[in-house]
Amino acid sequence: MTRKIFVRLALVPAISILATLALVSIAGAIWFALMNRTLRSPEYEFVGAYNFLRLLRDSRFFNALEISALWELITVTGTLGLAVLLSVLIYETVQKPLWRNVICFAFLVPVLLPRVAAAFIWRFMYSPSLGVINYLCGLVGIGPVEFLADPSLALISVAVVDIWQWGLFFTVIVLKLMETLPRDPIEAAMLDNARRWEIHAYVTLPMLKGPLVSLALVKAVESLRSFDLIFVMTGGGPGKATETLDLYAYQMGINMGGRISYASAMSLLLLVVTTIAFTVIWKAGKKWAA
Amino acid sequence: MANITCSNIVKSYGAFPVIDGLDLSIPDHEFVVFLGPSGCGKSTMLRMIAGLEEVTGGRIEIGGTDVTDMPPGDRGVAMVFQSYALYPHMSVADNITFGLRRQGVSRSEIAPRLEQVADMLGLSPYLDRRPKNLSGGQQQRVAMARAMIKTPKVFLFDEPLSNLDAKLREKLRTEIRKMHLQLKTTTIFVTHDQLEAMTIADRIVLMRDGEIEQMGTPDEIFERPASHFVADFIGTPAMNFIDATIEAGHVARAGSIALSLSPELFPGLVPGQKVELGLRPASMDLAAPDAPNAIGGTVVLVENMGAEGQVITQVDGAEISFVTPQFRQVRAGETVHFALRPDQIHIFDPETGRSLRGV
Ligand SMILES: Nc1ncnc2c1ncn2[C@@H]1O[C@H](COP(=O)(O)OP(=O)(O)O)[C@@H](O)[C@H]1O
Ligand SMILES: [Mg+2]
Repeated sequence: MTRKIFVRLALVPAISILATLALVSIAGAIWFALMNRTLRSPEYEFVGAYNFLRLLRDSRFFNALEISALWELITVTGTLGLAVLLSVLIYETVQKPLWRNVICFAFLVPVLLPRVAAAFIWRFMYSPSLGVINYLCGLVGIGPVEFLADPSLALISVAVVDIWQWGLFFTVIVLKLMETLPRDPIEAAMLDNARRWEIHAYVTLPMLKGPLVSLALVKAVESLRSFDLIFVMTGGGPGKATETLDLYAYQMGINMGGRISYASAMSLLLLVVTTIAFTVIWKAGKKWAA
Repeated sequence: MANITCSNIVKSYGAFPVIDGLDLSIPDHEFVVFLGPSGCGKSTMLRMIAGLEEVTGGRIEIGGTDVTDMPPGDRGVAMVFQSYALYPHMSVADNITFGLRRQGVSRSEIAPRLEQVADMLGLSPYLDRRPKNLSGGQQQRVAMARAMIKTPKVFLFDEPLSNLDAKLREKLRTEIRKMHLQLKTTTIFVTHDQLEAMTIADRIVLMRDGEIEQMGTPDEIFERPASHFVADFIGTPAMNFIDATIEAGHVARAGSIALSLSPELFPGLVPGQKVELGLRPASMDLAAPDAPNAIGGTVVLVENMGAEGQVITQVDGAEISFVTPQFRQVRAGETVHFALRPDQIHIFDPETGRSLRGV
């Protein structure tokens, strides 16, 4: 009983700070969203649900919603796919603990870079005239490719940077998870005629299903916050090809329009949509991993 | 057709050899037990036969085929692990049939085989469960079913019963033995439990520090231990060892103890020779003070084992124990006499530990 009380008391400071911070900003957003404030003029009036109704008729908003969903899909599957592939590859080919540690250390470097720095590095590498990637493309007779200026490539090109940062980081995590697995079922599978890839497909990875689902959720939440990366690399362009919801909200609220009330309404909607979506996914993921 | 031949097997981890030049030949259909203390290399040997561990040197043949460099799946062996090693995320049925599915056996052929194996091991009610929802004994049965369904050339068991309680261990031991009588598959069974080995084996391979100390039927190992180590390892309660000197007339003397030995069994003994006597508690019993080979001692402790009791006595300052059904008449502090037949006395060289038995 006293233990319970202690646990609760210990939680109070952290939770109250978090709650205050979250609640104040959410309350502020709601407050703004119900008015028609802009940065240009000090005048404003109370407009009720007008901003929300406007949003439902805003095709650029729906474009941003679609881009956001696409961004989530590409970065989450890309990150996990890369992590699983690379960790299996390393698990199978690199046996020496020293080399594994060297590789893990190297793989941790990208995620330690500030995202803005990573964005600038890759923007330079993607450059049609100076970039190393286009130089390599040139060697095999392709290009120059406008990675960031071609609407059909821009989103993927930015996603590659995100996957590069997080996929390598997750590779380290998945590899370490694989190393903690008991050897016996793997050896049993070897005696059961399973080929190398079958052992991973049917034994090791299913044993890691729970942690992999958690990693996917972590990455999904993380991917929601890719504003800085996209902003530096493309600024949402070309056109609206990489304009996710947070970029659109920023463009609307700060950059061009200064319509902060409209942007607040948008971020509130984003909050509601993601909360619902993640609750559903979390529940489903937990059920599936059980 | 599935005899196993291991010739000159060497296994080293780093520079240190764990197994150094081991030769072993197991005939078809035999149930062989690798017995020895922990760390003597039993599992290593078994895992090399399974292909889970590479040999540093030597050759392994199964059924006349050199399998030394073959991957585990191609050797036609099935193994049951101490930890059961079930696939935790698969149902019992999927666990059992995983190997057949990997071999590409058709579903219509798998179904009847699954049914048969599940029936045999009493697993039919549990086929849809996950391993974690089964008891330890049931899990080990699943592991056995998974091995059996493949109809392998060789069964390998690595201490499969160590994680089970005593009663279940006994039950499964009998089941494994019955399974072998029915299927006649060549089997190697690893254990450090001498009683388990004695009850289950056709032949015991007793190992020590990566070498074979003695190989033989349970009776041979029990009745004619080749060394002090074997004699000490086999049999409960453990054998009494007494340092003695040979006197004229084939008598071994140690203080007040004088035992006449069988000249046929120990023809090489000479007067004055130092020897070590091995007396099994179970071969001795209460005797009259003037009976042949009687030993007199003061009772220190009586241990009740149910039908029999172990009496621990002090003889010339050393403890000697014997087993008797009449232990209830014996009290601590009393002087008792006990004796054994000359052909039940074991004699070892105190230097090498080898048995001095001539035939
Ligand atoms: N992977 C390994 N690396 C180094 N030494 C090992 C390894 N596996 C086993 N050994 C050593 O080999 C010896 C035999 O081990 P093992 O075959 O497991 O013994 P047993 O099964 O008879 O208890 C032990 O001394 C153990 O320390
Ligand atoms: Mg072992």
